[in-house]
Amino acid sequence: MFIADIRKDFYEVVANQRVVLLVAPDIDALCACKILQALFHCDQIQYTLVPVTGWQDLGTAFLEHKEQFRYFVLINCGANVDLLEMLQPDDDSIFFICDTHRPVDVVNVYNDTQIKLLIKQDDDLGVPSYDDIFRDEDEEGEDSGNESDEGSEPSGKRRRFDEVRIKPSRSKREWEARSNIGTLMLPEILNELLNFHLFSCQAAMMFFELAWVLTKDTKDMLWWAIIGLTDQWVHDKITNMKYVTDIATMQRHVSRHNHRNEDEENSLSIDCMRISFEYDLRLTLYQHWSLYESICNSCYTSCSFKLWTLNGQKKLQEFLADMGLPLKQVRQKFNSMDMSIKENLRDVIEESSNKYGMKDIRIQTFGVHFGFKNRFLASDMVHATAALLESAEKDDSETDTFIKALDALSRSNIDRLHSGIELAKKKLIAIQQTVASCICTNLILSQGPFLYCYLMEGTPDVKLFSKPMALTLLCKYLLKAFVLSTRNKRCKLLPLVIAAPKDVEKGTVIVVGIPPESETSDKKNFFGRAFEKAAESTSSRTLHDHFDTSTNNAENRFLDGKLFLKYTEREHCE
Amino acid sequence: MFCEKAIELIRELHRMSDGQLPAFNEDGLRQVLQEMEALYEQNQSDVNEAKSEGRAELIPSIKLRHCCLLRNQRCVTAYLYDRLLRIRALRWEYGSVLPANVRFHMCAEELQWFSQYKKSLASFMRSLGGDEGLDITQDMKPPKSLYIEVRCLKDHGEFEIDDGTVILLKKNSQHFLPRWKCELLIRQGVLEHVVS
Repeated sequence: MFIADIRKDFYEVVANQRVVLLVAPDIDALCACKILQALFHCDQIQYTLVPVTGWQDLGTAFLEHKEQFRYFVLINCGANVDLLEMLQPDDDSIFFICDTHRPVDVVNVYNDTQIKLLIKQDDDLGVPSYDDIFRDEDEEGEDSGNESDEGSEPSGKRRRFDEVRIKPSRSKREWEARSNIGTLMLPEILNELLNFHLFSCQAAMMFFELAWVLTKDTKDMLWWAIIGLTDQWVHDKITNMKYVTDIATMQRHVSRHNHRNEDEENSLSIDCMRISFEYDLRLTLYQHWSLYESICNSCYTSCSFKLWTLNGQKKLQEFLADMGLPLKQVRQKFNSMDMSIKENLRDVIEESSNKYGMKDIRIQTFGVHFGFKNRFLASDMVHATAALLESAEKDDSETDTFIKALDALSRSNIDRLHSGIELAKKKLIAIQQTVASCICTNLILSQGPFLYCYLMEGTPDVKLFSKPMALTLLCKYLLKAFVLSTRNKRCKLLPLVIAAPKDVEKGTVIVVGIPPESETSDKKNFFGRAFEKAAESTSSRTLHDHFDTSTNNAENRFLDGKLFLKYTEREHCE
Repeated sequence: MFCEKAIELIRELHRMSDGQLPAFNEDGLRQVLQEMEALYEQNQSDVNEAKSEGRAELIPSIKLRHCCLLRNQRCVTAYLYDRLLRIRALRWEYGSVLPANVRFHMCAEELQWFSQYKKSLASFMRSLGGDEGLDITQDMKPPKSLYIEVRCLKDHGEFEIDDGTVILLKKNSQHFLPRWKCELLIRQGVLEHVVS
């Protein structure tokens, strides 16, 4: 059920208890986790933090801790699946789920006792009303049939709803015992609901608002909330409209924090943290890199100029000449550029880029500044933390990288942040080079209703792309670049599926699918369902372990069969 | 050369300067004691000879041997005393139960000394702080907060805290626990204090 008052129904409930935090591996979840940890430190609520990388991890962690803990807080995992069915908890375990994945599973919505959703109810979730999908016990309905799905959509089953609580396993057995009439069609509403996968309001913001309601919010927490929001924008999970709206909300908080402190007499020490609203350039990491490198390796500029072609390179040189920036300056580290150039840089670049067709070179964002040396934009932090989270070091397990990324978000670990920035630079360069090589060697094939690309094992830096976030980023850049470079009008409207080797010894691949590139896309992703159906049909082993259903681990065989292609295309069309 | 073995003992302790306790060098000690005995015997006979026959030229060699004896004594007592100091530090580091590999390095007398030290420390602690006594081996530095955040560096299995709850310490999980329960594990290197 949805929680109405987050302070009363969540915070005060766990106030004197021990809690387990199960956190998914994405930046928004990390930020939300930091905010919640800070709140728990204030009030001395004992907790245990366990990073979980997928559904299996979640199950294992739950089993390990269920004896000792009653309260579980799941961050960015668990809302889009029937949690009670999956984990089979005892009756007194209570789950608080704060998740950005949509759609929220209907069982989670309508369970009154064990599942509490820390989600704003005014998001247009499109949750169907209770009566449409459940039947009460009293109605001796004739529809007692069970829908024979392969178990991949358990919430689609009609259940008898016990008035006190749901006991899914028992009712399912009883159901099957009584089922005699044939299979039912899955109710249309649910079908529509479950077809897509979407992201929504970020977890970090949810917890920041909790902190605000408790008046325990600090600038650190605000900054983490901003990073969570920016993460969703950088990884293209929310629409521009929603991003701008949320930025406005954050701006109110930022001005509230800033107004308290500074005036002429008591100015803050330089070491204090200052967050400021910036209408800054869309060049990734430009303040920690050279301007030239940043332009070459940012998706927006690289795609607008088409920097993988010779023509594009020439255009870039023209662009720089147009702005009057000498090449020598532009190739230096940003901090060492002449002050006279740096002063009006943003306006100069905006003017020139308008001439070259880049209307949105500037974007609303926030920057932080503490100490003399440390200035970061929110997107810098996102890239750095994402690079740390998915660094492909040999002896680092996934939980090790999770811990490193979590550390990098604290202000006291600037070194780690800087190492993250270096890793992020390498990652961006690798992405650009891969994009360039894929376009130039025509690795993107059109398979009917979708585009398909497979990164062979020998591709340079392919180890970086065995992680979901990096691969998704590559996928999006690739699609943008492809749309701009192809002449085939029909291909511009197709979605893209990309596959990369995940583990060479075991012969597995990781597959990601993204919806077609469009101005007004609502970012709904249909591939989760499509992958599942395709996997059943090709009977190859797949592991739908990631919380984000558009990513999928599979055997090599998954891709070899023509069946995969056929079934994916069929599912997409429906 | 005389006193070489005694210096060996001292060097052995000096090598492990970070407070670790090396194995009790029973052999070395025995050799030093034998040397001392031999010197003493020689000295005895020489003194008797010098007294009875009035041979004054034996006096310097008697003096030399006497100096060697004193030096050996000093080295041996320094060795034994330094070991005792290290064992005392172990009580503060590890608590009242020593790990097996450390006990292995102590000789029987040292073990006895350790248990007596434990007893006197315990009775002292009981005498402080009213009825219950005060555990002064906790909180070696003044604590800043009641609960601290710790990160688990290796799998340690289950860990029980005061009210009976059992926490599973798995690698890379973080916990927010009462300070006094974690101190011991932090010293042992299982947990790491996370400062944010």
